[in-house]
Amino acid sequence: MLAVPTACPFCSCGCGFHLLVREGQLSGVAPSQTHPVSGGQLCARGWSAHEAAVWGDRLRQPLVRRNGEQEPASWDEALDYVVARLKELLAAGKPVGVLGSARATNEENYLAGKLARSGLGTNNVGFSYYPVCAPLLAGVEEVCGTEPTLRLNDIASSQIILLIEGNLAETHPRAAGSVLKALENGARLITIGCRETQMVRVASLHLQAAPGNECEVINELSAGVADLGQSRPSVSIGNDAGLQDLEQHVGSLANLQAAEWITHAERAAFLIPPIWGQGDHPRKAAAAFARLAAITGHLNRPGSGVLPLLARSNARGACEMAVVHDRLPGYDRLEDAGSRQRLENLWGKKLPSAPGWDAETLVQSVSGLVIVADDPSSVMPMGQKAMAALGKMEFLAVLDAFATPTASMAHALLPISSFAETEGTFTSMEGRIQRLRPATNPPGDARPGWQVLAELCVRFGATASYHSASDVLREVSQAAPQYAGVAQRLAADGWSGVLLEDSGKRKLQVSSAGSIAVETLKSADRPFLLARDPAFDWGSDPLVSFSPTLSRDFRSQHKAFPEGFVEMSRDDANALQIRGMRKVKLTSTHGEARVPVLVRADLEPGLLIVPYAFRDHVSGALGNDSIAAVAVERA
Amino acid sequence: MAFIIEKKAVSGWLESLLRLGEVIAPTRSPTGDVLFSTICSAGDVMWDLPNPLHPPKEAVLPQTDPIVQIKRNGSHHEVEAIHDDHRRFLVNARSCDVKGIAFLTRMHEMEPADASYLERSKNLTIISQTCPTPCPLGFCVCTDSGPFLSDSYDAQLTDLGENFLVEVGSAKGEAAVAEGQGLFRKASDDDLLQRRMLEEKAKQHFGEQTCHFASAMRRISTGRVHETLWEKMADWCLECGGCNIVCPTCYCFSVKDLGCDGTWIRCRLRDSCQYAAFTLEASGHNPRAQRKDRMKRRFFHKVSAQYYTRDGTVGCVGCGRCVQVCLGTTHMPAVVAAIRKGNWYE
Repeated sequence: MLAVPTACPFCSCGCGFHLLVREGQLSGVAPSQTHPVSGGQLCARGWSAHEAAVWGDRLRQPLVRRNGEQEPASWDEALDYVVARLKELLAAGKPVGVLGSARATNEENYLAGKLARSGLGTNNVGFSYYPVCAPLLAGVEEVCGTEPTLRLNDIASSQIILLIEGNLAETHPRAAGSVLKALENGARLITIGCRETQMVRVASLHLQAAPGNECEVINELSAGVADLGQSRPSVSIGNDAGLQDLEQHVGSLANLQAAEWITHAERAAFLIPPIWGQGDHPRKAAAAFARLAAITGHLNRPGSGVLPLLARSNARGACEMAVVHDRLPGYDRLEDAGSRQRLENLWGKKLPSAPGWDAETLVQSVSGLVIVADDPSSVMPMGQKAMAALGKMEFLAVLDAFATPTASMAHALLPISSFAETEGTFTSMEGRIQRLRPATNPPGDARPGWQVLAELCVRFGATASYHSASDVLREVSQAAPQYAGVAQRLAADGWSGVLLEDSGKRKLQVSSAGSIAVETLKSADRPFLLARDPAFDWGSDPLVSFSPTLSRDFRSQHKAFPEGFVEMSRDDANALQIRGMRKVKLTSTHGEARVPVLVRADLEPGLLIVPYAFRDHVSGALGNDSIAAVAVERA
Repeated sequence: MAFIIEKKAVSGWLESLLRLGEVIAPTRSPTGDVLFSTICSAGDVMWDLPNPLHPPKEAVLPQTDPIVQIKRNGSHHEVEAIHDDHRRFLVNARSCDVKGIAFLTRMHEMEPADASYLERSKNLTIISQTCPTPCPLGFCVCTDSGPFLSDSYDAQLTDLGENFLVEVGSAKGEAAVAEGQGLFRKASDDDLLQRRMLEEKAKQHFGEQTCHFASAMRRISTGRVHETLWEKMADWCLECGGCNIVCPTCYCFSVKDLGCDGTWIRCRLRDSCQYAAFTLEASGHNPRAQRKDRMKRRFFHKVSAQYYTRDGTVGCVGCGRCVQVCLGTTHMPAVVAAIRKGNWYE
């Protein structure tokens, strides 16, 4: 039996474990006590990480669509076909694009970006999870830049943990474990959210916030800090009107208590996942959150800081490899001429300077698309719309290890290695770059993704001669300044990975907060708030859906609720005399939707929450928004 | 029967075992972890390594365990058992794991007996080592599974300085010792006295921080653990299932067929009773939908008098692995202490 150490492919905590191999086949997972993040502990997903690669519906040979059917082809045929079709579209002046993925390696994402920019000459490049996490990253970046300010291991030794609670125990069990350890050591947890989750039950203090109202609660906390007289003089919590608005809430003892704890804590952890909201609200809320960390002095202090909680393993890496329409490797801005020049020198080619379409628009607008290990319909907020757009695509090429709904629509399907069979690196949300090590051979004719992408790059005239994934990483080190020397350090350091440096060059910008009260959305006619739960739907991720152990919960949920559901509080259900699983009609300014109700005791009245997996069942009422005021009637 | 083998002669003995079958022993991996792995030469066995976090039950009950092969033949299917009759030697396992495998074997011998498991355990010879210095998180002294054993091993080694004392506990152990002909001599009374003294000394190493099962058992067995306590504790469990996966006595599984070209391999997959869908029924009903109920079930199975009477032991060998892998804070000693005291964190 062989034990191959590798990085976990699920959430972005960046755990590590050994894949066990028996007679050439993955047979299990063994923990690693020496791993700096997981230290011998894993979550349910980690313990079953080997399953999807073995039991999943794997792609084994290239397929090309002929007469409406996907038929087997040789690698050369398939690659020729992809190149010919994309060149046709380019020659006809039609827009093309590339999607990378938050579950693809840095090397794959880097080459996907290179294929788009250097090969296809476009900045139409993105990844499906970006629309979900971009506002969060942008908000935090406004205050503390793009460098990580808090490490996961800092959480356990924090005295105060401020958490915008989605459902941490489920989305990031490793981080939740650290929170529990901190509480065991006497720390206090303050949660902000609308549901009585596991983390809320163990919290010292819970601050109620309706979806879209987090920003207000955060500002109230900031006002509380100001009231304690502990804030720095440069703090401004907005204009006078904003101040007055805040002041009337300062009476809230809970807020004051929380503000006091945060201010007096030596080490405080600020944890924030992607959140709900209309328009600019999620970004503003994230900025307000980071600002609270800044004004309480927790941004430049070792062991304190803000940690954006990203769902998928390599979301941070995908950003830094710049599969983003307006960024360059290193997450530098596209308009930064210096960064573009650096890349042009490296790639030996003039690069497009006009930003591309963002991922959601891109899927709707291009005629030809190359998708690397991504499934837009299950990840993008507008899932069905993305699916419909893919169906209408003139040419769709998909590189994936698994047969996803997106793969089934491809005109050309190129099978690549899964995480268990490939070399490459992931960058976790705390900025730890770790190596994946192949434990087995890929099934059938599947090839490592970086090889296939390098081949495509070459065929489109981009330089790409690599002998290994490490060669690609060495080039990344030149393209993205913060990755300088990473390849060498990884080779030397091995297991603990390489942490992106925290250069301490943080800008503290405090601009006007201007919160939008979501309450104003509601009206007498539409007294309920319908909100989409932003927590990532793991049930649609092939690593979960193809794992016999992990898929059970999700599969049974989809089987039990074929029409989806919205969650409603018990009080509301009683008032409306709606019994569980009966349908309601939701009417908003966008339109209406009919959907069954799941009655919950742990939800605040006045809210209807739709799980991300079932978001398309209420798209009639939600439109393109993530929150809408609705009227509810029995249907 | 007890023998003495000089330490420098041990590798000669292991070489002869290597010729007979697979030898599995703790080794230090490149990551610095200690893992049970197949060794290639006798020199790979290091006797002073800490007990690996991943238990050796993998040798009898792999995480993915192919049991039968199903083949389509015309209009019907042929079912054929998959045999694993490799002879294996588990070397330098510790007392807790020896008791763990004995527990599993007793369980799988119960009617209907599990032929697949028993074939593996029948071909497995366990050459364990006693623990003169108990490991920091272990509490085997509370579960009657260490630090020294008087049964369940095939051969038990005790470090006597220059020599190992080798106690033979079964015919398999006897056969293994016979392979090292000429390397063993009969142990003297002095050797045996030395072993007994080491055992007594080892027991003194366990502090007050041990696991008090008896009181917890009384409360669990008579339903005197308050529902609110289970509820409270359940909030500190993150449902990772790690406790089950590394527990030397856990054997729950689910079944899944791995299909390929008209042939299916029916596999037993290690499972966790802490996962929400573990008890999900086809109707959609789940008798243990809430985490507190799953937790209650787990500790009832491990610590209740009902199971103690049947198994003759608690379902715990005191290895302390759950303390290390628990992503939350609800490992065996913590829960047993909470039940005994009647409260969780205040």
